[in-house]
Amino acid sequence: MKKQRFDYGYILTLLISLVVALLIGAGILALTGHNPLVAYRALLGGAFSNARHIGDMLEYAMVLCLCGLACDIGSRVGIFNVGGEGQLLLGAIFAAQIGVWLKALSPWLAIPAAALGAMIVGGFYAWIPGVLKVKLKVNEVITTIMLNTVAVFLCQFLAKGPWKNTNKNIVAGTGNLPGSFWLKKLVPGSNLSTAIIAAAVITFLVWYILQKTSKGYEMRLTGDNPRFAKYAGMKTERIVLITMVISGMMCGLVGMFRVYGAEHIYKSTVSNEYYFEGLMVAMIAQYAPLPTIVISLIFAILKIGAMGMETAAGVPKQLYLIIQTIVIFCMAAETGIRAAIARNRERRAAKQDVKARKEGGNEHA
Amino acid sequence: MEDEIRFSHISMEFPGVLANDDISLSIRRGEVFALVGENGAGKSTLMNILYGINEPTAGELFVRGQKVTAFNPRAAIDRGIGMVHQHFMLVPSFTVAQNIVLGQEPRKAGALFDNRKAEQLTRQLVAEYGLEVDPTAEVRDISVGLQQRVEILKTLYRGAEILILDEPTAVLTPQETDELFEVIRSIVREKNMTVIIITHKLYEVMAISDRVGVMRAGKLIGVKNTAEVDEHILASMMVGRPVLFDHLDKIGEPGAVAIEVKDLFVADNRGLPAVRGASFAVRKGEVLGIAAIEGNGQSELLEAITGLRKIERGTVTVCGQNAVGKTPGEIRAMGVSHVPEDRLSTGVDKVASVADNLLTGRQREKRFNRFGFHQRRSTIDRYAQELYEKFDIRGAGIHIPVGSMSGGNMQKVVVAREFTFDSPALVISQPTRGVDIGAMEFFHTRIIERRNAGAAILLSSADLDEVFRLSDRIITLYEGRVTGEFRADAITKEEIGFYMTGARKEAEQ
Repeated sequence: MKKQRFDYGYILTLLISLVVALLIGAGILALTGHNPLVAYRALLGGAFSNARHIGDMLEYAMVLCLCGLACDIGSRVGIFNVGGEGQLLLGAIFAAQIGVWLKALSPWLAIPAAALGAMIVGGFYAWIPGVLKVKLKVNEVITTIMLNTVAVFLCQFLAKGPWKNTNKNIVAGTGNLPGSFWLKKLVPGSNLSTAIIAAAVITFLVWYILQKTSKGYEMRLTGDNPRFAKYAGMKTERIVLITMVISGMMCGLVGMFRVYGAEHIYKSTVSNEYYFEGLMVAMIAQYAPLPTIVISLIFAILKIGAMGMETAAGVPKQLYLIIQTIVIFCMAAETGIRAAIARNRERRAAKQDVKARKEGGNEHA
Repeated sequence: MEDEIRFSHISMEFPGVLANDDISLSIRRGEVFALVGENGAGKSTLMNILYGINEPTAGELFVRGQKVTAFNPRAAIDRGIGMVHQHFMLVPSFTVAQNIVLGQEPRKAGALFDNRKAEQLTRQLVAEYGLEVDPTAEVRDISVGLQQRVEILKTLYRGAEILILDEPTAVLTPQETDELFEVIRSIVREKNMTVIIITHKLYEVMAISDRVGVMRAGKLIGVKNTAEVDEHILASMMVGRPVLFDHLDKIGEPGAVAIEVKDLFVADNRGLPAVRGASFAVRKGEVLGIAAIEGNGQSELLEAITGLRKIERGTVTVCGQNAVGKTPGEIRAMGVSHVPEDRLSTGVDKVASVADNLLTGRQREKRFNRFGFHQRRSTIDRYAQELYEKFDIRGAGIHIPVGSMSGGNMQKVVVAREFTFDSPALVISQPTRGVDIGAMEFFHTRIIERRNAGAAILLSSADLDEVFRLSDRIITLYEGRVTGEFRADAITKEEIGFYMTGARKEAEQ
């Protein structure tokens, strides 16, 4: 017995949107005087030509994937966490500062402490809109967006003020992490560190909990129809709140990964609206875990490749944004297009049915 | 008698649905024609064609011998066709007279509304048709029965000679129904009007109509003279197979009190009092039916008992435990199962599979989980398949979304889940709303089975026949207060109707 049907229609639309996006991108390239073939070859080269590029690409895919999954689990219980960026930044800055405070300790204590701290801060920062939503029915989209701004300025204040690096050349940033706290690089010179192993475990856990456990079942029912879930005896408010907190914890942890795996200091570059890109990945993946992983990889290839393309072929890397936008546009139209096709087919069938009956009737008469 | 209306090979198809399938039907001047059929049989679609809301995809329509070419309500009104919808279209803050003339208002000085003329016109209509109603009363202050009368007067004011009534008795008490039928008879007799009444209540067909047309799945199954058929024949025609209303055997004496409600106050969604000091008790092994016209607090009452709605004041005790301030989950744990009024919004998760919906409430049970968290899908599927067969659910299996099933089968999913808990108390609301006659019998049998097995059952239904058929005792509810309590076999529908509209029964014994 098949439990989950593989949705070929979805995969087909995804592929078509990608091809359409690349074709339109090629058109733009040609119009602006670039050779599309050369540019796209440079793009692939940018993502795959050497180990360092592949490492950076995988690290970026990891960030997108974790952010996307954080959004997935929220949507599973019917809550839309747009505040991941703030949760990520706060997680990053607290993780960095914990490293500074504990620099005398063994990395075996300091790193877990930093991870835990980042998760607590990120989780708490998601708990605020969660509680407002559950208890007072305040729309979480609005509160999370507002809290993002608060987090950005709070981090700026901390990085320029009380937690500022003692080095005068660094205008906004926390103190340097001791080298022993740095997560080991899997590819030297790239951003890829052992964090990706932890990320893989988290990804598996999220997929497993959502798809295979009774908790995931309760989350799904709560998201589909909260009134039904409540009627059936589930503690829906608690389910929503806990899920929101977990979503925030995941974002906080991404911040910690960025600091300990790549930047080794908190500065504003730990995230360049990465959560919002993860959120787009989740939307395109229709909030399902497996497609989230695949689309994270595709977007990471495009983004890291685009940087290579800029240096190798002289094409502005913003082309990546154009392609991404077109893919999102096509995927958004997907449901509409599919519904239109189905409607058309039904209408034709019904018409033929009426005609057939009428002809049958006439023959009788 | 000449044909007033003639449908000739009318078909109406909506995307994916053939709502009317090659229908040919003649309706004569001066008759009361009843159109019966189950939900979705195509009755309303056919009448919407006559009233010009829908244009048929095939076939022709003749009114008084003239072929209809323009399908819109305005043209239909000009042809003398009036329709009273199930949901009234009146302005509550306007007077009766203002509502009646709305759209064709008498004017003075060229532009101003002439209220006196409107009232005078209304008085004329009232006198002419014998439909007693006060022209100066505001619509929001008059009863539903009178509002319906205003709707009828409205169509008469616009010169209707053919009157279509869509489920006119759904909102009426038995007394108001009798009055409506009296009105219909008099306008047919004295004005030679043609009345078409859409209904699914067969005893009404027998009481009022001259001829009856039965529809099923978009087709007209047959047209009969009412005098030549009975309810059983009509029911079989509607369902497409013989329907046997077996006698339900109620066995055993009621036992201990399982649900006790004392002096309960509950507010509705707008915060206004809906239940105002209701008190009653349900014992094990009995069905307590609630007879009330919709909107008299019965929905809020059942939601409060099952924990879905906040209790303002008073006590609810379930199997000896206090249920006030408890969550639906806690009340379930005390031993209450609940078949909710609105199955789509409360009773199921539409997008989840049948299996997942049957599992709900048991998802934490040991047998469905390995290590306490890993769902055993094969055990769950086996369990769901078992219920699917036991409760005769018909559909494309246990893996399709519940939302794609028919109302009756969806209700079977809800009932299968709730009845399998074997709870000592059951709260059941509208068990057969939108369910076909065949499945109705199935639900009734199941409810009595649970009763005979010793469950305490609190039942609310808009269908008074259903309340009478299933209940041991009946309470009437009017504006949130209990107005009487009766043994079901010691009272008639007419008497009950009296208490449903506010009369109070003096203290028992």
